[in-house]
Amino acid sequence: MTAMKTTAIRWAVIVGTIAAAITPIAARATDPVLPPPYAGVYQPQGVDEIGLWHDDDDDEHALAASPLVIRDEKLTAYVKRVLCDTVGDDRCAPIRIYIIREPAFNASMSPNGTMRVLSGLFLRVRNDSEFGAVLGHEFGHFESRHTLAAFKGRRSGTDLLAWTALLASVAPSYGMARSYDDLRYSVYGSIFRHGRDQEREADRLGIAYLNHSHFRPQSASVMWHTVMAEAEASARAKGLKKPNFKTIAFTASHPPEAERAHYLAALAAPDDAGRADGADRYRAALAPWMPVFLDDQIKLNDFGGSDYLIENLAETGWTAPLWLARGDLYRTRGAQRDYANAATFYANAIDLDPTLAPAFRGLGLTLVKTGRTTEGQDALRRYLALSPTAPGAKLVRMMVPQGTNP
Amino acid sequence: MTPRLPHRVIVAALSIALVAMPALAHKLREKGVAVTVADSSLTVTPTRDWNRLGQSPGKHAETWTLDGEQLDDVTFYAGIAPGEPLVKERSKKRDPLPKFTATTQIVEIPELLEGTYRTYKSIGAFTLVSTDPVKFLGHDGVLFTYDYTDEDLLTRRGEARATIVDGKLYMITFDAPRLYYFDRFLGDARALSGSATL
Repeated sequence: MTAMKTTAIRWAVIVGTIAAAITPIAARATDPVLPPPYAGVYQPQGVDEIGLWHDDDDDEHALAASPLVIRDEKLTAYVKRVLCDTVGDDRCAPIRIYIIREPAFNASMSPNGTMRVLSGLFLRVRNDSEFGAVLGHEFGHFESRHTLAAFKGRRSGTDLLAWTALLASVAPSYGMARSYDDLRYSVYGSIFRHGRDQEREADRLGIAYLNHSHFRPQSASVMWHTVMAEAEASARAKGLKKPNFKTIAFTASHPPEAERAHYLAALAAPDDAGRADGADRYRAALAPWMPVFLDDQIKLNDFGGSDYLIENLAETGWTAPLWLARGDLYRTRGAQRDYANAATFYANAIDLDPTLAPAFRGLGLTLVKTGRTTEGQDALRRYLALSPTAPGAKLVRMMVPQGTNP
Repeated sequence: MTPRLPHRVIVAALSIALVAMPALAHKLREKGVAVTVADSSLTVTPTRDWNRLGQSPGKHAETWTLDGEQLDDVTFYAGIAPGEPLVKERSKKRDPLPKFTATTQIVEIPELLEGTYRTYKSIGAFTLVSTDPVKFLGHDGVLFTYDYTDEDLLTRRGEARATIVDGKLYMITFDAPRLYYFDRFLGDARALSGSATL
């Protein structure tokens, strides 16, 4: 009995030491500080980092040839500009940007300086400052070499488990097996917690870049509020329980959104709240792509989330593409009550841009569905006049009476 | 905002493989023998041997292939009623798919397939290449082609024929990698969908 107790205590001590060893939590300073000035071209150090970069170089080769990458020089240059404005020209110079056509909210940066931006991100931010907040956060991971630290943490944690499993199997008492289980949970928990602490550190760095840039640092917190509101709107429309933004699951890779919104607001330099947020520049840069990204989003069939995103983007003013997207969203959900709304939204789009052919198509189809066939056919005729060679024009032509085709 | 954990993918792939194992009862569909598809009255007469996959994508759907569904995939959607999605939803509540409705127009069918593919496969790169009128099953229908890039980064091309009969949707799609396979088997796929009767 006594022997078992001593063993248990010894194990508890080991568990504690190991858990502490693989989670190097930096002491929290009150103000976010920038790392030392950029020291020029960095080359990987040691076998682990050289290996990681090697793998990453291979990934980048594949990425550069990927059919999902949006090869638009202007858009890529704009993303690079926002990154440079956020983190400084010296830091951003060696970074390569790849914009990937995927309608999800994400961006990432890998060890060799490859930045991936998913197209869905463009719908979740509304100005340069919010966009810069995301890019700065990802750059923070890169500058702190988080991938390497996480890899080393996982390796030491799992090495330890392998050895203790071996030792536990030859141990003379049953208590060992239980202690091994405890240790296992502790190590895995530490690995996940380590990941969350890295996210917090990247958040702090991100806000430090923003504080030192010409962007409005309060935007970082605003962006997280947008993300939470979108998730709530999506859940509400699906009749699901409201998501909880405060709890941390055992395996959560990121800190809860509410915590992030809160500390990002607290860390933003209060004097800089009056800075311009760059909404006009953002709109101008995204104008050619916004209809495409909106279309990608609404076709995901997430009614609540999409409607929220459209309204959120429209906070700085409704545009024809936003009304068109909303019309398409309501028309494709296809409840009878949606058609009345869809017709109004298409009409709003046409008011703002009387040459927007897809709006006439949507309006025409919607009116036909609600029994207003004559008006619907008029709208479809207008669509055919504006866009006679569009895919589907021949089919639409069959919907309008013969002899009146344009 | 970090890359997804690869081991999750491996676990998911393994569990799918394990679950799918008992259902691998594929059937041979022999040349010249007329058969009904997707538990409906839709009948086709293949001009060469095809494999019918044991697992169907939905209640009113059935998939045939020559070399495996990743390389060439003919899917029959037969008698989709208003209010139903094209394929079985993974979760009715969490990941709902677009539904065929009583007011869906023939010209909107390509949109329905596009929305289903995008939602089901979480893809962002889907382009409708062409849409044309066609006679299908003796009714006015739509013939459309599309390109999309799946998670495996392989660009696939598809050609579909669809129509609405008695308020129900009938559609036959052929999807294959744009490189080599699409052109290689398009003739066989067209012969198959051309033989369809109700």
